[in-house]
Amino acid sequence: MRDQFHIVGKITPRKDAVARVTGRELYSVDIILPRMLYGRIVASPYAHAHIRGIDAREAEALGAIVITWDDVPHVRFNQRIVTVPAALHKDTTVLADKVRRLWEPVAAVAAETEAMAEKAARAVRVEYEPLPVLTDPIEAMQPGAVPIHETVLFGDKELKVENNIACMRQIEEGDVDRAFAEADVVVEGTFRTHKIYHMQLEPKTAVCRPEPDGGLTVWATTQSIHNVRILLGQIFGIPLSKINVIRIPVGGAFGSSIQMNTPIPICAALALKAGRPVKLTLTREEDFYEHTKYPVQVHLKLAARRDGTLLGAEMELITDIGAHIIQPYSFLGVCIGWLVSLYRLPNVRYKGIAVYTNKTPSCAMRGFGNPQITFAAESLMDELAVRLGMDPVELRRKNYVGLGDTFWGQGPLVRSVVQSDGVPELLEEGKRLIGWDRRQPPEAKTGRYRRGIGMARGFHTSSAGAPQPGDVIDYSGAMVKVNQDGSVDVITAVIDHGGGTLEAIAKLVAEALCVPLEKVNIAAAGTTTTVYDVVTHATRGVYAGGGAAVKAAQKVRQELLETAARYLNVMPDALTLTLDESLGQGVVYAPSILERRMTIAEIATRCWTESWKTIAAVESYRPTSCPPAYMTAFVEVEVDTWTGIVRTVRVVLGSDCGTVINPDLAAGQLEGGLHIGAGFALYEDNQWDREGRALSRGYMVDAKIPGVLESPTIENLITHFAHTYEPTGPLGAKGIGEAASNPIAAACANAIYNAIGVRFYELPITPERVGESLNQTNHKKKS
Amino acid sequence: MEPRLITLNINGRSHQVALKSNVTLLRALRDLGYTDVKNGCEKGDCGACAVLLNGRAVNSCLVLAWQADGAEIVTAAGLGTVDHPHPIQEALADSGGVQCGFCIPGIVIAAKALLDRNPHPTEEEIREAISGNLCRCTGYALIVEGIRRVAESRES
Repeated sequence: MRDQFHIVGKITPRKDAVARVTGRELYSVDIILPRMLYGRIVASPYAHAHIRGIDAREAEALGAIVITWDDVPHVRFNQRIVTVPAALHKDTTVLADKVRRLWEPVAAVAAETEAMAEKAARAVRVEYEPLPVLTDPIEAMQPGAVPIHETVLFGDKELKVENNIACMRQIEEGDVDRAFAEADVVVEGTFRTHKIYHMQLEPKTAVCRPEPDGGLTVWATTQSIHNVRILLGQIFGIPLSKINVIRIPVGGAFGSSIQMNTPIPICAALALKAGRPVKLTLTREEDFYEHTKYPVQVHLKLAARRDGTLLGAEMELITDIGAHIIQPYSFLGVCIGWLVSLYRLPNVRYKGIAVYTNKTPSCAMRGFGNPQITFAAESLMDELAVRLGMDPVELRRKNYVGLGDTFWGQGPLVRSVVQSDGVPELLEEGKRLIGWDRRQPPEAKTGRYRRGIGMARGFHTSSAGAPQPGDVIDYSGAMVKVNQDGSVDVITAVIDHGGGTLEAIAKLVAEALCVPLEKVNIAAAGTTTTVYDVVTHATRGVYAGGGAAVKAAQKVRQELLETAARYLNVMPDALTLTLDESLGQGVVYAPSILERRMTIAEIATRCWTESWKTIAAVESYRPTSCPPAYMTAFVEVEVDTWTGIVRTVRVVLGSDCGTVINPDLAAGQLEGGLHIGAGFALYEDNQWDREGRALSRGYMVDAKIPGVLESPTIENLITHFAHTYEPTGPLGAKGIGEAASNPIAAACANAIYNAIGVRFYELPITPERVGESLNQTNHKKKS
Repeated sequence: MEPRLITLNINGRSHQVALKSNVTLLRALRDLGYTDVKNGCEKGDCGACAVLLNGRAVNSCLVLAWQADGAEIVTAAGLGTVDHPHPIQEALADSGGVQCGFCIPGIVIAAKALLDRNPHPTEEEIREAISGNLCRCTGYALIVEGIRRVAESRES
């Protein structure tokens, strides 16, 4: 199948790369408009406090526009509207009525320059009454703990929040007690992962311009222009037709902008009050306090037979969601979904609890719980292999969820059947490329520097599609039109975070319409000119966004054939469309009457000059499956037993993303996935003090994302792809982005175990933790 | 403190601007419309705002505009354009090492400063030269590879 593609699967220069290297690309933060004011947030220095009064007179005397609680709508909303309205928790307002986290916006100002806005923000006097700060979820859920929220809206119902528990989920399938009673081996462990920060390079920004008709034009850092529009419409009571949220390049996202960011509605409120455009950019320190990954404490227990067959699992999970609810109900659902979709576990019992604290709100970060659960599951699988004396790869091959199995990675209501499975190929190729056969047990290692090889599997769902609608909104849309010269415009609301999603969509349309890639334009887009696309998340950009574009392109293809049929006096079914390489154009022709042929440009030109029509199609597309994009990671590390420093020596990353559309960009996703995964595994800590303050204090270097010196060289970073074709995907494609980082932490932890014989249950595995564990081991040996 | 009139020579163009002493070169450049100089952190951590100041790569957020009075400043846009990119820009664009692109103008500058003083760097030297630039998308390998290719093509 892939051999028949003319452009899909070939390496081509990325269309936007030259604009980016020459600094021509504009991000939200670069937008400058006539008469534009600059906004600043007045943020709370306390993590938990009542607001007793705000005096803005001094700031207003400086000429600034000031907004406080009294100036903004009091509508309670959820920043993320991917869940259906009836199942959506809402506890957030444009500005805070009560402070629940450090840096919570309590007021905002807009002034002629950034410096004046800064001065005005400092001049706003806020009187706070500090409250006890809760930073530990276990403490926060004890009876008698000070309540962070009294109530939360669930749909339209007001629910009382008990013991700071935002929500809980309990799921049970099969007969778990029997599974554990029949088990020959049980392994268990309590795993902890931290509340790390996305650290996208572009600080979140909004630019809002009020329009004469009462509407708004918005340029903002977001992964979903349509959801931003819907929320702004709901909050400010503006008809959606009057709000145009423009798609603009995003300087990285990683999940941090699935939800409408805090500055967006504040900026809109400032602009509406000022009657002038306003730009509001978070400082890096404010951005640190905007959102983080969900930290989890997860107790996982696996039951297995002596031959390695898994029988069942029990899992208990507590997550600290921070001060506001974004999507923990879905999060709790997918966390068990990731486990049961990784391995066949017919008997499973699960309890998940999401707890409020006075910290930064938690949200999805490249994996939405999947890296956390995969760290626990794949660490335990490694332990199980040691206990059984089995090859870890064989244990995984025996139990993985693959072809023909039902899986529900996106939660219990999103079930579908695996239709493409590259896992066996990935495992074999990964073993060969890393040199799995030379792997020695930890006991065989001596000396200061000890090397170890470990592996882990992972996957992510491509979209959250399913045969039936569930509690997650998931569909896309696209318009494709043929211009008068035969070039093609693709009009889509899909956001490209930088990975090349739009590049892939252009290629899919070029393939489907038999047009050269350079003739396909991804049109400038905004919410008023595009149909709905939920959001680029859940590894769905290419699979679902691309699926919509291919659906529209196929309709255009059919219309080209029918239109040419009339011009050529041939039945439409007798015609076919192909790319004529010598003409550099798509050609419609009748194979049996070869002289009856027209190029796409000729068809489009005649349709125009004969005053007939534009050939175009607009389609919505609901994926009826969310196929697993499989991943394997084989990692070789070197542990310096004197300093505790772990170095990644060699990494082999295998992906089953179905048809590979852009080989170099797909490899880039794997390499970037390694970067994020290695940061999560080895470096990023982002500790919090008892006052709810991140110890990194807004310094990127202190939060320690991997730099170039910590990253493997190209010779030691090997990527490979499975040869699969996903029947439900656009031209056989699945997703890749989140899958790429999901197994990395577990693979690193397993490699470290193989090097020094110590298993780590808490991330990150810092030199301090490695050193401490080695001291303890030496101590035990001596005593 | 009163504003002072200073001269900023940016990409071969001379700008006279009245600025207070506390304005950073980064802010001054962006206010003049040089938005290719990216503000990633304003704390000297990320390197996205790097420019050449009299040939040396500096984080413009850590330099006061007054300190650049009369100096030659080159930004990524000053090295090449979309139609005529600098060989470093061309190599990075072709390397597959450009994703969101927010860090890339700073990396272009760091690479230019390196190759100007050391036309044939080792891989270690390339890594050292861009170790002050953070990228969250790519994992750096292809960026290093792109810079290595420029250096190699100069040798031939």
